[in-house]
Parts: sequence; C-alpha cells; structure tokens
Amino acid sequence: MNDNHNPTLSSIRKRSTHIAAAVFLSPALLFLVIFVLYPIINTFQLSTYNWSGISPTRTFIGLDNWRELMSDTIFWRAFQNNITLMVLSLVFQVPFALLLATILDAAGKRFNIFKVIWFLPLLMSTVAVGFLFRFVLDANFGLITFFSRLLGGGPIDLLGHPDRALFAVIGVVAWRFIPFYMVLYLAGYSSLPDELYEAAIIDGASQSQYFWRVALPLLTPVIRSGAILSIVGSLAFFDLTFVMTGGGPSHASELMATHMYRSTFLTMRMSYGATIAGAMFILITTIALITIKLLSRKEKQQL
Amino acid sequence: MKKRILVLALALCMLFGILAACAPSGSDKTVIEFWHIQTTEPQVSIIERAVERFIEANPQYEVNIVTIMNDNYKERILIAMAANEVPDIFISWSGGPMIEYIEAGHIADITDLFNDSGLLNRYLEGGIAQATYNGRIWGVPTESVAVASVFYNKDIFANLGLSVPRTIGELEQVADTLVANDIIPFALANGPRWTGSFYYMYLATRYAGLEPFQNAVSGAGSFEHPSFEFAGDRIIDWVNRGFFAPGFNGNDEDAGQSRQLMYSEQAAMHVMGNWFVGQMMGENEAFIDKVGVFAFPAYENSNAHPDIAIGTAGDNFYHVSSTASSKEGAFNLIMQLLDDQAVQERVDSGMIPPVRGVQPELPLTRDVMAIIQRAPEVQLWYDQFLPPEVAQVHLSTSQALFGLQTTPQQANAEMQAAMVAYRNR
Repeated sequence: MNDNHNPTLSSIRKRSTHIAAAVFLSPALLFLVIFVLYPIINTFQLSTYNWSGISPTRTFIGLDNWRELMSDTIFWRAFQNNITLMVLSLVFQVPFALLLATILDAAGKRFNIFKVIWFLPLLMSTVAVGFLFRFVLDANFGLITFFSRLLGGGPIDLLGHPDRALFAVIGVVAWRFIPFYMVLYLAGYSSLPDELYEAAIIDGASQSQYFWRVALPLLTPVIRSGAILSIVGSLAFFDLTFVMTGGGPSHASELMATHMYRSTFLTMRMSYGATIAGAMFILITTIALITIKLLSRKEKQQL
Repeated sequence: MKKRILVLALALCMLFGILAACAPSGSDKTVIEFWHIQTTEPQVSIIERAVERFIEANPQYEVNIVTIMNDNYKERILIAMAANEVPDIFISWSGGPMIEYIEAGHIADITDLFNDSGLLNRYLEGGIAQATYNGRIWGVPTESVAVASVFYNKDIFANLGLSVPRTIGELEQVADTLVANDIIPFALANGPRWTGSFYYMYLATRYAGLEPFQNAVSGAGSFEHPSFEFAGDRIIDWVNRGFFAPGFNGNDEDAGQSRQLMYSEQAAMHVMGNWFVGQMMGENEAFIDKVGVFAFPAYENSNAHPDIAIGTAGDNFYHVSSTASSKEGAFNLIMQLLDDQAVQERVDSGMIPPVRGVQPELPLTRDVMAIIQRAPEVQLWYDQFLPPEVAQVHLSTSQALFGLQTTPQQANAEMQAAMVAYRNR
C-alpha cells in the first residue's frame, strides 16, 4: 500500500476545501471574466479596427487609431484637465473632508444636525446636482450673479468662459464628493478606541497634539484609501462635466471620458472611442499603481 | 454527497437563473417596437392617440412605444444597431447620420410601400427629397417643418422705435440700439453648440448662397471660402459688441436658459427654429402675442438669394428597420402618425406638419409658413447634414468662434482638414 491509496485526514480536508472553494468561486469568476475581463480585451481588440459601431463590416487597421490618439490634441488636453481635477481634488477634498470629520468627531452628538446637512449633497444624484448648478451658475439669473449684483458687481460668467468652466465644474465636484470622504474618515475615527484618546489626554497631550501625533498616524490607512479612490475617480470622471458643460466651451473642460463619449456616440467612431477607453485604462491603472506603491513605501519608512 | 449535489445545484441555479429570465413570453400578435423622441406634451399624446387608432384598425398588431430623451436617443440607437437589435420603427433627422444608418443596412427601403399606398402625394416634396438617398425613399418626414428665423419682442421694438431689419447692416444697427438701452439683442444659449451654428450658417449663406457649402462638402470647393470667413468675422464682431447675454456660451438651450431671457424681456431677439412657437405655447402662452418673426436679413453687398432658409422639411424622419417583423405594419403605423386627425392636432400645437395644404390659425405660425413658402431652397442644418465626425468639428469650431478662442481662418482650416480626413478614410 502506498500513500495514494491511503490519504491522510489532512490531505482529504485540503482537497475537499479546494473543491468547495472552486465551486463557490466559479460563479463569481465566470461573471468577472464575462463582465470585466472580456470587455477589456474586447476594447483593445476593437481599437485595432476602423468601425462606426453600426456597420456590419469593420476593417483591420492595426495601430492607426493609436497613432491618431498620440497626436489628438483634444485627448491630451482632456488628460491635462483630468490631472488638474485629480490634483485639485486631492488638495482640497481630502483635507477639507478630514477637517469636517474631525469637527464632527470632536463635537460628538451635539453636531448631529451638521452631520446630516453636510451629508446631503452625497444623497443627490450627480445629474440632478449638475442641472441644479447650471441654474445656480447662470450668468443672468443665477445665485452667484445675484450676489455679485447685490454687491454692485456685474454678471459672473463661469460655465461659458473657457478659462473658468473647468474650475467651476471642479468646485461642484468638490461640493458633491467632500461628504463622501467625510463619511469615510468619520468611520475611520469611530474605529479608534476611546482609550487612546483618554490615555493621550491623561499623559498631558493637547487636542491638537492628539490629532497630529495620535489620530492622524492611525488614520493613515483610511486617508490612503480615500486618496486612491479620489485619484481613480477623478481620472475616470464623467457625469457632472457632461451635464454641466458637455466638455465645452470648445473642449475647455473636456475630460477623457467625455471625449470618449463624443467620439463613440456623436462622431460615430466606435473603434476610436474604444482606443480612448483603452488609453484611459492604461493611464489610470499606471497612475493608480504608482500612487499605491509610493504610499505604501512611505508607510514602511514610517514604521 | 447529497450536500455536495445540493451545493452544485445551487451554484448552477445562480448561474442560469439570470439567463432563464430572458426567455420570451408567448403571444400571437405581431409586436411593433416603436422608438421616438417626443417627450413633451402635447406631442406625446398625439402619438399615443394615433397609435391607438392604428391598433383599433389593425388588431393583429401590438405596439410597444418607447419614448427617449433627444440626447440619450443618439447613444441608445447606436447601441441597438451595434447589437443588431434595431427597433421596428425609429427616428433620425435625415442627413449624414441617416446615410450612415442606410449604408450600414439598418433602414428598410420603403419606396415600393410608399408608391403602393397612394399617400406619397400627401407629403411635401421637400420632405420626401430629404428622405431620399440613391434615388430610393428611406424615411417619412413626420413631426414638423422647421426653419430657423429671427423671433423678436414686438413691444421692445415699438418702445425703442425700431423697425424690422431687412439687411445685416440694419440688424447690427438695431442690435447696437438695444445694447445702448441695456437690452440684450440675442437670447442665444450656446452650450449645446447647434444654437450658435444657426448664426454661422445664415451669415455664410447670406454672403454667397449655398454653393460654397455644397462645394466644400463635395470636395469641389473648400471651407476656406470667403463666405465662411465672413461668418466667423461677423460672429466675433458681434460678440465684441455685446450682442449676446453674459455667459451665453455655457447656457443650455434645452434647459430653457435662452427662453428665460426672452420671457423676462431682458433680450429682444431669438434666432431659433419655429418649434419655439410650440415651446411658448407650453411654457408661456400669453407671451406669444408679443412675439413677431422675420427671416434672417440679407447681406447688402451680396446678390445671393435673400430668402434661402436653413432648416428641415419635416423633422423627425421615421424609419422602418430592415429587420422589422412586419415592414408593412410598421409602414402603415408611420402613415397613421400623420393621419388627418394627427395633422390637425399638430397644427393646433403650433407645429407645421410636412403635408400639403396645412392651414395654421395662429398668426405667428402663419408668418413662419410665409417664410418657408418664400424660400427657394431649404438647407438642412450643417450639423445634421454633414457626416457625424465633421459635424462635431463644425459645432466645436463655431462655439470656439463665439468664445473668441479661435480665428475664422483657423476654424475654417480645421473644418477643411476634418472634411478631407473624412473623405480619405
């Protein structure tokens, strides 16, 4: 008799665990392959064709679409705008959300009303928010112009001005998404044990010392996930820009995603749209991986 | 072992449960899938009532109406075509996109059905011509004839002693007077970009007629023709003279940010298609009495025909899909959409259905009809006439002109490059 015919108890368990794992994971794996992996591969495959999206025939053109993309000034301008959105989101949304979360955490139940009010923007659909702000920012009837006139100023044109449209949209993006990061950090705060705070105070730490020396280092993992979410979100951003400016005026607030939409559905070049989508996939993945790497290296240095 | 089978069965159920939900349900009636984009009243119910009349007369059919917002429609129909799941009846605006659909084989040739029906003479010639490609008819002009003209506030004109301008020079004088009196001359909302394109198209057409545009498209000429430079120069000049509202280049026509300026009497003129009359009926009926209309004025230094109109001879066009379950049924339903009752209902709501012998009651609509009847030619909007990818460049460069972000030379060179690139593809 050899081992094959006389398996040990632990090897039986190992094997049945593997089978169970395979059975339970296979549906999820199948869905991932169908709905995530296949579309990605298909997108890259599409980008090597010339196809309007509706014609029954498509011609293989190799890397022509990618060559065109390299010299597509609108795409690179859109990429720049995405980077601007990403940087400004990181610089303003993350610290401001942390500030709000800190205030709420320090004030406790007394500030519950603010917790609700500050959370409200997140509850509205982005499309509705976009429409709302179209009217708020209207240079003839809008709220901003109303206050400007009240103070003796003239009408203020934000969405129609090529140098301001992007920043107006970024402002609204911040208004809509700060509550999201606020909730994230609030959850981070609630995971900190009370004993830490008590110990710090007993040891004679001031509130600000507690925040900088104790709370902030412990919140780093949450802040890091927030930053990564913000980076990926900004690079793939679409809806508010689409509703508020459509990428205009004349591409001034164009983002990669709005350019992709326009190429696919309005200029009817499905394959070129796929090329932009492929380029977005590469750019966003690269930037996200680099960020994760940088952030985790920092963490190791701290330890 | 039993447990294992149970687990496997459950996993399989999870997998196939979703697929099972897609199974078709049985019915002996032929279903006509019908997509349109009339989302405002009374147009929605005009269509619904016509469909009810159709089903009453043809009980063998079942009609599934799907109403889609204008801008969403463009992507939904494209996805449907990419998936080869085209609805039996769908719409287009004719022009470039329609030709793309025909070339891709998604639209049925309805020439024979039309000839057999004996209804062809009922429709305006111009509308049928717009739905004709390669000598065959591919669509039915259905909702309304629409041309862009200048709507103006008669009260403001009277108060300032202004009369209707007949030349572009006079129009500029009128606008200067309005600016001097703190009134915005034009209620343009150029966020969607096709609104500003109206000015560009008319200016170029008044300068040298339609030939330069036709030649630029066919390749016999170029977008660097002086008429397009003239259009760009005037637009930039008008922006600098303050003829448009603050922030106009970002305002949304669909959300009514231009009409608000008219209704609040902060602006005096609105270069718009005659669907504006219908919009006023729905939004501010009392305001209609204050509004007059005139054709876009002539250019004094040109002998181009001053009555050429820009617009469409029967927007939207209803098409039968080449994969329709019953092409005849679908065609007959389209005919029903513009039967006598539907024509009357459309006229009553300020539209001009593309059939012969329409007699509108509203004076403003009658004035629009006069402009249409005077026109020796109607040029379809550039953004719908041009191939989609060139149309997008036109919209973008014309918006850039309004935003003072480019020069006419640069904008027209970009247009020319896009046209050449399209022809070479």
